[in-house]
This record gives sequence, C-alpha cells and structure tokens, in this order.
Amino acid sequence: MFTLIKREIEDHLVYFIGAIIISAVLIALLTSAMYYDDPGERPVFVVLSFPVIIVLIIGFPGMGASQMYTDRSRKISTFLTGLPVTRCQILTARIITGILAILVVLVPLTVTGTILWRLFAPPIPIFPGLIFDLSVVTFLMGFACYCLGLQTGWTTSRITPTLGSIILTCIFVPLIIVKGFSTQIKIILLLFIIASLIRTWQKFKHTAL
Amino acid sequence: MAEFVVEVQNLVKYFDGRCVLDGINLKVPRGCIYGLLGRNASGKTTIIRILLGHERPTRGQTFLLGTDSANLSAKIHGRIGYVAEGHHLIQNYRVGRLVKLCKGLSLRWNDKFFKSLMETFRLPMDRRVRDLSMGMRAQLNLSLAMAVDPELLILDDPTLGLDTVARRQFLELAIDVIQKQGRTILFCSHILSDVERIADRIGIFAAGKLVVDCPLEELKTRVRKLRVIFAETIPQNLYLPEIVNLQSQGREMIITVVNWNRQKEAILETYKPSSCTELPMTLEDIFIECTRPNATIQPAEKQEI
Repeated sequence: MFTLIKREIEDHLVYFIGAIIISAVLIALLTSAMYYDDPGERPVFVVLSFPVIIVLIIGFPGMGASQMYTDRSRKISTFLTGLPVTRCQILTARIITGILAILVVLVPLTVTGTILWRLFAPPIPIFPGLIFDLSVVTFLMGFACYCLGLQTGWTTSRITPTLGSIILTCIFVPLIIVKGFSTQIKIILLLFIIASLIRTWQKFKHTAL
Repeated sequence: MAEFVVEVQNLVKYFDGRCVLDGINLKVPRGCIYGLLGRNASGKTTIIRILLGHERPTRGQTFLLGTDSANLSAKIHGRIGYVAEGHHLIQNYRVGRLVKLCKGLSLRWNDKFFKSLMETFRLPMDRRVRDLSMGMRAQLNLSLAMAVDPELLILDDPTLGLDTVARRQFLELAIDVIQKQGRTILFCSHILSDVERIADRIGIFAAGKLVVDCPLEELKTRVRKLRVIFAETIPQNLYLPEIVNLQSQGREMIITVVNWNRQKEAILETYKPSSCTELPMTLEDIFIECTRPNATIQPAEKQEI
C-alpha cells in the first residue's frame, strides 16, 4: 500500500506543491490581517483570499479527476493489476493521497488559526469550537470536491469533470453561507462523500481495464 | 494444490450484442505450456482478460490457481506473471522507476535473474518507456513478468515486435521457466512456429468456440490431409465423417479429415481410389484447416480424444 501511495504522490506532485503554496499564501494573508494596524482595512485581506480559496475548490476535484483520467488514458490500473495489487488497493491508495493533499492545506492553516486565536483574543466572545468546526467543514468540502473529481474523472469526457466541480462549488458555497458550519452541513457533506465514493468504487470495480 | 491452474466453465462473452466467446470450456493442467491460437478478434485476448479479472464475463465462470477470477486476491496475482498484448507499461515512467515500482509491489522478486535478463536484452534503465522500441518494450515486459518467479505465466502475443534473435531468447526463457517444477504457461501467438516449438497442448478458437483442445502431438495425429486419386472420375456422393475440408480437381481429391482411423479408411476404400497418400501437415496447416468458416469440427468430439 505504501508503494502505491508513494507512486500516486510522485505522479501528482504538482498538486502537493500547489497545496503547499496555497496554504502558505492563506497563512500569510491571515497573519498579515491580524498584525495589520488598521482593523478597518482587514476586509481587504479577506477579499484577497477569495481567489486563493476558489483555486483550492477547483484544485481538489481537479486532482481527483486527474488521478482517474491519467489512469484511464495511460492504462495504469491495467498494468498494476497484473502485479500483486487489487483494484480496491489502487483506489484506496488514491483516496489516501487525496486526503493527504487536503491535509497539506488544512493542517498548517488550522495550526496557524489556533495560534492566532490565542495571540489575538477576539474583542467579543465567539464560540470556542469555531476553528475546529471550520476545519472539519473545510476538510469535508474539500474531500467532497475531490470525490466528485474521482467520480467524473473515470469517464472519457474532459468536460464533465470541469462542469462537475463548478456545479458543486455553486451548490456548496451558498449552502455553507446559509447553514454555517453546523452539524447539518457536516451530515449533508458526509452523505454526499459516501454516495460519491460508493459510485466511484462501483464504476472503478466494474469497468473493463 | 489445484490440479488445473486455469479453468474456464461455460464462458460466454458478448460485446455490443456480438458473441465473442460462445460456451467455452477449458482446463489447463499444472506444468503445461498451453498455446491458444485463433485468428484476429477470435477472443483469445478476451479470455485472458476475463481470466485476470480485467473484463467481466456475460455468463460462466473462470478460475485461476483455484480462485474465481472475479475475486483474485493480491496474493494470487503475486503468483502470476502477465505480459499483455501491446505491453501496457506506464509509458511516462523511466525504466528504472518502473522496475522499482514492480519490485516494491511484488511478493517475490528474483533480482539476480532480472538483472541477467536486463543484461541479455541490453535494456537502458534511464530511458522513458515511451521512448523504447516495440521490441524493447516487449523485452522489458517479459523481464518484469519473469522476475516475479511466477507459478503461472500468461503471455498475450509476447513475441509481437521482437526480432528473430529476441524471439529465440524468449522461447529459451519460456523453456527455462517450465523446467522449474510445477510452472505453467498460457500463451497466445500468431507465430505458429513458436507455438509448435514450445507448446505441449493447443487450443484453437474459431467463431467464438474452442474447436480444438488437445495435446499438440495428438492434434497432429488426429488431423490428416489425404491426396486421393481415383481411376476415372471422382465420386460425387463421397461421404466421410468429420471432413474439415475437401477440394477436388480432375481425378484428384484433397481431403482434410479429423480423427482418421481404420473405420474411415475402410469407408474411403469403398469408393475404390487408385491411390491414397497422406500429405504432411504443419501446425500452420492444421490451424488454417480448423479455422475455415465451414470447418465442422465438434468441440465435444475433440475433447474426448
């Protein structure tokens, strides 16, 4: 399994580099906003972070789609299943790689957020579990986007993955704005992830390699 | 330990409504070199892909090393070496990286043997797979399949793209593998001279059916080509069971017949031919006769013999 995960990471190294860069940019923006003298101009940093977040949202399904699409076009699974590897192991390694990419973005951000929270106590009392909730919902949303990428990438069409990720963004972003980081949104995202993974597994297992 | 390394039971496969495999039953005993023959698109690759679990059958079941092909575990895959038609290697990898990947994933890896193969084939480790010639890719694929010390080696047209020397090397390697006790090879090829040289059992596909499944030597004795010359004209109503092909010109008749025996000889004698001589047949001749569209070889009869 470790060899398979290593292969996936090496093959999609560009996404990991991208994740590190995005994480670094977001940390820089967050820290700058906190240290900025004039609190009135802080929203500028929030606006600046939007394009980065959009790149992030498109990046995760992009990674999933890329993993599946390159597999199909280069017949990677056909070759790997000739070795002592099952389809289940290939897909599991792929999903673990996706989770790692999401964590590369999220863990440094969460750590930075927690440190800044401690350093700069907010002037008004805020729900103490906010950073945790924010991190969980971001993780679930990133993973849901990634799962959609996996699912749509296992087709010959190039348009479907792109359209899929755009549609998902259009659905989930307003949903989070309306519902906040509540338990309901976590359940919705979890259900979506489970359904998406089951469908991906079904398609991946039954397609002729 | 299963007696049969490969088992196919009543296998049917349809592609877009077209029947590619029609009720195939096949058993490959342990320690056998089994040559699968057939014309293009006769279903040879499909049956191999179904056996390896790459493709699902429409009906029927297949077993590899005693396990259902639909549920082959990594452990079972580790006992199988596979060379795919067209050599599905990861094209953008360098040879060295691909070797490292295979080594990392294999349950057994005979490094000494692999290095000797790489030296024999003179394969460059630093070049990308896509930059290798077809022949080099075939050699690399074969080396990777052999290095896992497989209990069962499945080769789908392995000599495709190889030059004469490399083909000879491959055949010697195959014989090397089989000399190790209990090793089995299932392979298909269009180069019948290669098959004839190493196979000890033959299966011939025609029109989706397995029309021949028997040891090579037996096949050669079973299918006979006879030149029959009659004194005056050829009989119009000549009947002989299991004629595969019949051609006539003037007083001469060329008959290809299956299961030639004393009974059939006696039937032919009743037509009073002036001479009856047997023509030598190579595997290629037998293959051409067996895959004719109007060939009437019955698989059940074939398997009984």
